[in-house]
Amino acid sequence: MNCDTPFRLELTGITKRFPGVLANDSVSFGVKPGEIHALLGENGAGKSTLVKMIYGIMQPDAGEIRWNGEPVTITNPNAARRLGIGMVFQHFSLFEALSVLENIALGIDSKVPSRELRARISAIMDEYGLTLDPNRTVETLSVGERQRIEIVRALLLEPKLLIMDEPTSVLTPQEVEQLFGVLRQLAAQGCSILYISHKLHEIQALCDTATILRAGKLVHTCDPRQETSRSMAEKMIGAGLRDLTRSRDRALGEPRLVVSKLSTVQADHFDVPVRHVSFAVRAGEIFGIAGVAGNGQNALLEALSGETPASEAGAVAVDGKPMGTADVSARRSKGLSAVPEERNGHAAVGDFTLADNAVLTARDRIDMVTLGLIGRDKAEAFAGKVIETFGVKAQGPGAIAGSLSGGNLQKFVMGREILQRPSVLVVSQPTWGVDAGAAAAIHQALVDLAQAGSAIVIISQDLDELLALCDTMAVINGGRLSRAMPVAEVDVEEVGLLMGGIHGETEASDAVPA
Amino acid sequence: MPFRLEKRPAPSRLMLYATPFGALALTMIAGALVFSLIGYDGLAAVQQIFITPLTSTFRWQDLAVKASPLIIIGVGLAVAYRANVWNIGAEGQYIVGGLTGTWVALATHGMTGIWILPAMVLAGMAGGMAYAAIPAFFKTRFNVNEILTSLMLTYASVQLVYYVVRGPWKDPMGMGFPQTRVFSEAARLPNMIPGTIVHWGVPVALLVALVVWFVMSRSVFGYRIKVVGAAPKAARYAGFSTNATIWLALLVSGGLAGLAGVLEVAGPFQRMVPGFPTNYGFTAIIVAFLARLHPIGVIFAAIVLAVTFVGGDLAQTTTGLPSAASGIFQAMLLFFLLAGDILVRYRVRRVSSQPAAGVRAAAEAQP
Amino acid sequence: MTIGLLIAVTMTLIVASTPILIAALGELVVERAGVLNLGVEGMMLIGAVTGFITMFTTGNPWLAVLVAAIAGLLSSLIFGFLTLSLSANQTATGLALTIFGTGFSALAGQSYSAMPVSLFRSVFPAELTTHPYLRVLFGYSPLVYFSLIMVVVVWWFLKRTRGGLILRAVGENDLSAHSIGYPVRAIRYGAIAFGGAMAGIAGACFPLLLTPQWAEGMTAGRGWIAVALVVFASWRPFRLLAGAYLFGLVMTMELYAKAGGGPLTAIPSELWAAMPYLATIAVLVLISIRRDASTNAPACLGKPFLPSN
Repeated sequence: MNCDTPFRLELTGITKRFPGVLANDSVSFGVKPGEIHALLGENGAGKSTLVKMIYGIMQPDAGEIRWNGEPVTITNPNAARRLGIGMVFQHFSLFEALSVLENIALGIDSKVPSRELRARISAIMDEYGLTLDPNRTVETLSVGERQRIEIVRALLLEPKLLIMDEPTSVLTPQEVEQLFGVLRQLAAQGCSILYISHKLHEIQALCDTATILRAGKLVHTCDPRQETSRSMAEKMIGAGLRDLTRSRDRALGEPRLVVSKLSTVQADHFDVPVRHVSFAVRAGEIFGIAGVAGNGQNALLEALSGETPASEAGAVAVDGKPMGTADVSARRSKGLSAVPEERNGHAAVGDFTLADNAVLTARDRIDMVTLGLIGRDKAEAFAGKVIETFGVKAQGPGAIAGSLSGGNLQKFVMGREILQRPSVLVVSQPTWGVDAGAAAAIHQALVDLAQAGSAIVIISQDLDELLALCDTMAVINGGRLSRAMPVAEVDVEEVGLLMGGIHGETEASDAVPA
Repeated sequence: MPFRLEKRPAPSRLMLYATPFGALALTMIAGALVFSLIGYDGLAAVQQIFITPLTSTFRWQDLAVKASPLIIIGVGLAVAYRANVWNIGAEGQYIVGGLTGTWVALATHGMTGIWILPAMVLAGMAGGMAYAAIPAFFKTRFNVNEILTSLMLTYASVQLVYYVVRGPWKDPMGMGFPQTRVFSEAARLPNMIPGTIVHWGVPVALLVALVVWFVMSRSVFGYRIKVVGAAPKAARYAGFSTNATIWLALLVSGGLAGLAGVLEVAGPFQRMVPGFPTNYGFTAIIVAFLARLHPIGVIFAAIVLAVTFVGGDLAQTTTGLPSAASGIFQAMLLFFLLAGDILVRYRVRRVSSQPAAGVRAAAEAQP
Repeated sequence: MTIGLLIAVTMTLIVASTPILIAALGELVVERAGVLNLGVEGMMLIGAVTGFITMFTTGNPWLAVLVAAIAGLLSSLIFGFLTLSLSANQTATGLALTIFGTGFSALAGQSYSAMPVSLFRSVFPAELTTHPYLRVLFGYSPLVYFSLIMVVVVWWFLKRTRGGLILRAVGENDLSAHSIGYPVRAIRYGAIAFGGAMAGIAGACFPLLLTPQWAEGMTAGRGWIAVALVVFASWRPFRLLAGAYLFGLVMTMELYAKAGGGPLTAIPSELWAAMPYLATIAVLVLISIRRDASTNAPACLGKPFLPSN
């Protein structure tokens, strides 16, 4: 690419401040026509804030945005779209109850007759090899299909710059390849792409340039193909990476958690129930469950934690004792602990202090209750111990949970469960949205707990995390669990197919009528 | 705009308890202005409604008697609203509590015995609970909105009062008036201090507030109510059943409203009359909010609202201010209180001011 | 049943349903935008008293309706300001608005109690309005036709126009609508103002259509029934029409019972008076049993809009 090509988008000294946080500190870089430009950084590095300013959702406190060399003020998303800037959001900006067509119509600024809109949509889908039924309601679509709506919506405007915010976090490896094909085709036609991610191998596979942000500051601009994953990761995180310390070939003990033919009923419209799920986790074993979001992970976690008890007592057994019909408290007292994906509002109460949040799950095992009254001293002492042991950055047991950063709250929640010495710990998305330092600490704590003899289940969408931590893993798709595979023998291609719903030979034996 | 709202990292406890006072002050100021504008002596009206009732010991009795049902109902509503259960039908539960108490009083008419009053109290609480059980059942079984059911039941309960005083319970010696006979001595709530109108409902109300405060702040029961209200999913995760909590919240608030009802009918009324529904159940909603759902705060909030009742009556006779005026003051109080809520979660900043020196580029980008 | 009686019952039913229908249509639009305004009863009382006073002083029913609509709209803006601009709790603010409307109307109307006004009658020629059969089509006040036209208008707006699509999108996912660039607060202010104007008109129906005088609390909980009807109708305008007329039937039976209508008098009049409220509970329960009540509810209903910037 010619170095003299003028920038299509150029940022100079962009600064954005939030209460107590400098989200962007004088960030400057440029994107050329046809370039796929990565914006790389950890959670909280300021990537999303930066693109929200480019797309007009927020205004910078200082700095200048130039578009084709001209200084511009992008007051709102409509103005961005008029310039030719399109965006695909990480958390899709879709309307569940409306049809695909209505969703697309909402994303374009002028009123287009629906017949004409349909024709234009099908032309775009043909061109890029995308398939979508315009009459379907969004709530019936898979995550990959939903992303396609966003992409079609953006492409209808014939953008000159397309912003993709963490587009692959919810896709199967095969869907990722398909998306990359579309993006390369767009770039070849001259569209610039600003690609936000923290996944290094993707950026190396796709991008021409990478701009790395750390704590709101631009730390480096490089050609990702000239770098190693490790060198980029170190720039992104700032310090040398710490490796997990664990003994790989330790002996696993007796099964502590045995799940057999566990099924749930659909709780509501949006729930994906699990069907005939069976697996066993031994003492000292970390068992990973991979899968794309919305394939029954929530139902599985709640069925294991006891929030939705099963109808058969034998469906879940802990240390040989059937617990399938037991409620949350009974399971916890027998040592089965769980940490759901959503920290604020499910694993913890945002408006409560950390001490009060300790009472949430630890009140019985830590003996905080006498005669129906809560011992505040005991709750505070336990919360203090969690804060200290797990290095939670908080003012103390009296700090309000909602005021903690995501990583710190997650450390507190994990610490609260781990310090209760559970025999079995089930966690969902343990490091989702958590900064690298906290993620490393959480991973280490899980490994240590396993080494102390607990059985651990990790439900995660992050395949890299599972491959690094687990001894055994399986894939969940459409509420069904694949066979368990030792991680040492896992073939990523096969896992990708399983995540996409291609079950192979295990399907037949699994499909016993209820 | 020279000012900007900035989200606080955690809700401000200072503002949480300061805003009710601010709302009260603003209500007086705005009230004086509004009533001056529509042709009354606004300052005098505010003085009559908010100040005069506090200035004589005789009126203190009146305040205590009017505040006690507000305290009892308000404490129950504070519990329900903490659990995010919107019982709007406390008036209906109060009425039914009064009616079931009346039933015991009429059934034991002419009898003596110290067991009669306790029996009435139990019947009143049971009546209020039973009436609150209807929205609880529909809510937990069929997910029917409790606001609408509890409110509709209130309208129905008023008709029930009309029916019994005109029909089956009508006083045969009442010269055709639609009311029951006066209760026997044993079914009347005695005065606590001779020569005053202060009855035993007043200490009962204070006791209720203290007990509920202790339970809410110290016990697993109170904790459970607060978790269900603040984060229902976290409550399930903690092992607290949402449905059981909805039942508890409605039974507690309904039972207390019923208690208030039976104390009113056995105390000030001493018989059931068509005018028994006096909107205590609705006013107690304002009381609960003004108290920030804190049982001890309810005592003070109830006194404030009782002051506006007594003051409203005074203003009617002295400055000719219509009785509806106190309703306007109550609504304004609630409006200002709700408007002030934003100060609990946000702070007002001058836009021009420079951010404090120690701003760190924290790892958490505040979205 | 004779045809004459059938026509009489039909007409009473339609007139009795009209205020509920108008108020519920307004609330339907508000809720479709994702806002739960429980102040309908209060706004109706404000509309009733202002409509009555205007009618009493000017004798012009059109002006009375207009003034009631404006008064309802203005009162709804208090709710809008608190819930949208100050993010106050919608349930509590709606209750506060009802308390305010009750107090305001009592204050404004206290010197007018039991003073008569004339009803807002049909504008068609007398041959049509008094014709034994044709009166079933022509014998109504313009307010009745207004309510029916508004059913179609609201349906058409929500289903067929871009504005309606945007309004539904805001009720479905306010944060998405915001991130695409729609002015969520402004759209919701608009919906709330419409709901307020409709509630005001609905309130004016009481003195202009039903009982030609002012009485404290004369809306008697009909605003709450309107809120319930929106749930019953699963947020669909034509189902709202059906639901409102079902309530009209219950209320018509009450009127006939009071007037000594044969077998209906066997039931105590107090039970008849309680019937609309009990019927409301019954339909809410039935609709919830039949299917998951939340299926069609706007996803953001009653939740505060808290964008991150």
